[in-house]
Amino acid sequence: MTRKVISAILRKDLVAFSRDRFYVFITVIGLGAFVAMYWLLPSSVDETVRLGVSHTGLDEILTPIAAAENEALAIFEFDNRDELVAAVESGREGIVAGIAFPASFADTAESVELLVPAGLPPEYLPLMEGIATEVAFFAAGEIPSMSIATRTVILGVDRAGDQISLQEQMRPLLAFFVLMMETFALASLVSIEVQLKTVTAVLVTPARTRDFITAKAILGTSLALGEVLLLMVLIRGFVGDLPVLLVALALGALLVTGIGLLAGASGRDFIGVMFLSLSLMIPLMIPAFGALFPGTAAGWIKALPSYGLAEAIVGVTARAESWGDLGPALLGLAAWCVVLLAVGTTVLRRRVQTL
Amino acid sequence: MTGQPPAIEVSEISYSYGDVVAVDGVSFAVAPGEIFGLLGPNGAGKSTTVKMLTGQLSPDSGSIRVLGMDTVRDTAEYQGRIGVCFEEKNLYTAMSGHENLRFFGRLFGINDLDTASLLDRVDLGARGDDRVADYSKGMRQRLMMARALINQPDVLFLDEPTDGLDPVSARTIQGLITQEAERGVAVVLTTHDMHEADTLADRVAFINQGKILALDAPESLKLQHGQRSVRIRSLGQNGEVEERTIPLEGSGVADSLQDTIANLNVLTIHTEEATLEDVFVAYAGRGLGA
Repeated sequence: MTRKVISAILRKDLVAFSRDRFYVFITVIGLGAFVAMYWLLPSSVDETVRLGVSHTGLDEILTPIAAAENEALAIFEFDNRDELVAAVESGREGIVAGIAFPASFADTAESVELLVPAGLPPEYLPLMEGIATEVAFFAAGEIPSMSIATRTVILGVDRAGDQISLQEQMRPLLAFFVLMMETFALASLVSIEVQLKTVTAVLVTPARTRDFITAKAILGTSLALGEVLLLMVLIRGFVGDLPVLLVALALGALLVTGIGLLAGASGRDFIGVMFLSLSLMIPLMIPAFGALFPGTAAGWIKALPSYGLAEAIVGVTARAESWGDLGPALLGLAAWCVVLLAVGTTVLRRRVQTL
Repeated sequence: MTGQPPAIEVSEISYSYGDVVAVDGVSFAVAPGEIFGLLGPNGAGKSTTVKMLTGQLSPDSGSIRVLGMDTVRDTAEYQGRIGVCFEEKNLYTAMSGHENLRFFGRLFGINDLDTASLLDRVDLGARGDDRVADYSKGMRQRLMMARALINQPDVLFLDEPTDGLDPVSARTIQGLITQEAERGVAVVLTTHDMHEADTLADRVAFINQGKILALDAPESLKLQHGQRSVRIRSLGQNGEVEERTIPLEGSGVADSLQDTIANLNVLTIHTEEATLEDVFVAYAGRGLGA
């Protein structure tokens, strides 16, 4: 009987969901927009460092330096310092920074001016200092006495030669957006049942509270998982260790189902449900945003429920990681699933029983 | 209605919301085929009593047996044999009338429910495919009534089933209640419409502040509290309307009444019977709207 009751509630919920124009609209539009966004993002990373220089009579030195770096370094020459400053400020031709050599540099090699825009990753400075030192060496024929640090410091994750493209970095965030939409949908379905008291009509039949909650949990998880799987297909997300990825996505769907049940049971009206859903989901998006900036995640981010999901998606699809690497993150995600589902179902059960 | 065990037996039930006592030691029984009216003002404890009877709440103390089953222990089993019509129009508005009934039918384990004939019974046969969102208040209430009858229940709980309805919809629902009672269904009718209770109920219980104040047939209650007199309006010799009251107490009442009628140009004769509202005021010291 229980299985038939759950099946009846599920069928009814699917009909209700398919007839809610708002959720059908945001689901279709959202999914389309996220897929389009993915394909519009750069699929590869240009690792060539583009530097501008202004100099007097250093052509014979700079040309072989650039040639020696193959495609890793591109040097763009400007006639004077002002033109170089303008190019760096505007980012013209992808120039990320500039070195202004003084007119007397070929003779004295005393000092250079490094022109860097705000926000330039710090690893560019040693590179530029190294180039200036090299130019001074070629000009003077001996090691110069300039006070330029020559030690190379690489900050953050060194992914030289193995950069993660913006598309790959966006995958967890897009997946999380889709899961978030389904959280809204589930929360809204639950909330409508509670507010219109249709659940009361259900619970004076042989259907039990556990049947109602189980049906809602199955629906929420199925919708969320179905949509996120579709998204991953459309954004070429199924690369690497597939079982790990599927487990991570299934756990992610369970995680947002718990949140959907909680928000749906707690919200007093549509706005309240949206506010609660957003309040709960926004902090959970932080790990997915963190994937956009490798190496920037603070320790506390690892404690967030969604960290395991973002880590698993990036780990499997971009870093070819597997169970061994992602085991702890997935275990943490599973633990959070248990907690949030328990909280969500408990709050909904209490709400339903006190109507 | 006699000789059969009661369909509902309520014994000394109480329920409190925190410190607020909603129901305090209520007892009654309802026989199969009986329409039992539960009357009282808002906040009197009617809804809490019905919630306990339908298994939505468990009493803090006392016991309830419906169709011989304990409402706390055998909840699922006895809920399969009751029908409930709520005061709130808690229908799935995105679904049609047919779809609503089919869904609830499945919850009762009925997969081949004849939704068309159920909708015909409540005069909604022509609108069964329309979404409930497009139904009027009266149509929704009739659909609620149809929903309560899906499982051919042995006990019906009806909470303000005709509240705010047009006379046609109200008559349809009252007709269904009578038909179900004739089928042997025990009906618990919660209402603050005294006229409806008077018309439909075999017995009524006045409930106020969580306690039952009086329980009897409407006629008996009215007789106990009425003036037992007859008011006669007649046309006088100079064309004015005259009114006089003849007490029905004591000896020679029949002769006195006969003489009066014979000697007057009688326009109307009214018995001075109390209404249920009067009886409630006599017990509770206030009206239903107070």
